Amino acid sequence: MRLITAVVFVFTLTCSGSFGMEDVISSSGPGLTLLMILFLPLVWSVPMAFVASELGSMVPEAGGLYRWIRRGMGEYWSFQAGWWWTLSLYVDSAVYVALALDYMEAKWGFSGGTRAIIGVGIIAVFTFINMRGLDLTGWSLTIIQIGVMVPLVIFTVWGIAVGSGNPFSPILPEGESFVGSMQLGLAIMMWMYSGWESISTLAGEIENPQKVIPRALMIGTPLVIATYFFSVFAAIRVAGIDGPDNWMNMWTGGGGVDFVEAAQMIGGGVLAYLMLMSAILSNIGLYAGYLATGARPQFQMSRDRLLPKFLGLTHKSWGTPWAAILLMALVNGVLINFNFSALITIDVFLLMFPYVLIFLTAMILRVKEPDAPRSFRVPMPTWLLGVWVAFPIAIAIIALFVNGTDWMIGGLAGVLTGPIAYLVFKNIYKGTTDEALEGSVVTPSGELTEFGAAVEGAGA
Amino acid sequence: MKGQRMANYAAIAGVLAGLAAIGGGLYARSAEPVFGIPQFFGIYSDYLSGVHVLMGIGVIMIVGGLLSLKWPSVGAIIVCFAAMAGLVYTYNRGQYRWVPLVYYWWGPWLLAWIAGIFAGYAAYKNVPQSAEKLSDARHAEGHSA
Repeated sequence: MRLITAVVFVFTLTCSGSFGMEDVISSSGPGLTLLMILFLPLVWSVPMAFVASELGSMVPEAGGLYRWIRRGMGEYWSFQAGWWWTLSLYVDSAVYVALALDYMEAKWGFSGGTRAIIGVGIIAVFTFINMRGLDLTGWSLTIIQIGVMVPLVIFTVWGIAVGSGNPFSPILPEGESFVGSMQLGLAIMMWMYSGWESISTLAGEIENPQKVIPRALMIGTPLVIATYFFSVFAAIRVAGIDGPDNWMNMWTGGGGVDFVEAAQMIGGGVLAYLMLMSAILSNIGLYAGYLATGARPQFQMSRDRLLPKFLGLTHKSWGTPWAAILLMALVNGVLINFNFSALITIDVFLLMFPYVLIFLTAMILRVKEPDAPRSFRVPMPTWLLGVWVAFPIAIAIIALFVNGTDWMIGGLAGVLTGPIAYLVFKNIYKGTTDEALEGSVVTPSGELTEFGAAVEGAGA
Repeated sequence: MKGQRMANYAAIAGVLAGLAAIGGGLYARSAEPVFGIPQFFGIYSDYLSGVHVLMGIGVIMIVGGLLSLKWPSVGAIIVCFAAMAGLVYTYNRGQYRWVPLVYYWWGPWLLAWIAGIFAGYAAYKNVPQSAEKLSDARHAEGHSA
């Protein structure tokens, strides 16, 4: 995988357009939304991008975060993180197909049966592409992102030029406090700015992952922030054409001024149609990306004898974890046919726990293995890194409590599946000793060895 | 058993989870005698109110906790499943009258999770890991178990 393809992967997994930001604008106010887009990354997504880069350059193995946490915190917690993350992505990836179908249904109004057939068709196509390998998946994502970004860029330039009003005004909705306003949009914004760890799960199939992944993350981070900022800036100005308070009517899901409606306001039917295509492709791209990354941790956990054997199968010709991909796709195919809004609430909650474990792992490995080879190292001393990652940890923990009761109950139940699954699978499959773990090794000079090779002076 | 100390901790946490659930039930009985509708996963009975469910699942947790002393994996699975059933039951009832029940479940949930963690460490110590090296991941045929 070339650097440009890795950047496309990062962009897809963390952004893929700005669809969904409309809800933050009406919840938190236009000014605060733009400020959160600019400043939340400093304490939420940028720390994750940097930590993922450092850990990915130190432990560049298939399964990514699962293997990082195993190295730092041992088998139990790595299983928990891998399990919660995978469980979350099973639901999450299905959501993207459902959202793409929602956009199509709103435009063309087809029956439930047609919806199911189209949904299964999308899943089948991207399952096959994913099974063929990351190169083809990367090419697909590149084409999809061109389809997403061209209308969005046209809209952004046009919207800034012809729109009306100061997008930073008002900062907050009238009568709302700063904390209250931020809380309303924080969960969505956190969601929009997540996914930086995902590309690490593909490390086993990327050449020189210890170099490519950090570079892709460093390029992707400002790209994502810029995409969000300028497109939302434009959308608020376009909404302002119909009155300075029209930002209050910005939401997704029908009836509100979303990106498609805003495109209609300035460019008529053609731009609205292009923007609709962009929204559909955005969600399809997210599905394809998360199908790729979601399958890898369970594949690696199976290879480490912590999940059923079939999940560890690799395709003989294509070298991809086809069984893990297929299982995820089958579950997605079932989920898109049900109303699973309750499950959506669980997956956001569950993701917070692996995130906390990733940050803790970064600190533990800095202390336990300060001299281990890292081709990328966050340019700050360990104590300062600790202060920095304390912010996202605090945000993740606070988020557990401020997003509603159903979110919390579903998530709490989901968390308990972690220990249960570990106890069941550990007793059946036994696990693998650290010494026998198959994986690549980074040499002191920063080069990556073949799988399973032993290098003197480098941690296995 | 190498992980006996962890198993003991798991047992203590499991029993405490059960006691917390029963304590919550007793408190609910005095504070809100009609707390929750008498229904549990579609089954209706006077003995299936929120109070009874808290106390019933508490008893199951205590049994699970005690089993953890000898079989930490089995005991902790029972404790965690009981906590999950209580949470799902709470969720399934909607948000208004059941919100108080959520708070009654905080203690049992946290202690059940801790029981699961200790049981996990016990299993890690007790279950011998495989030392068989796997083939290159790019040509994997899965483990031999």
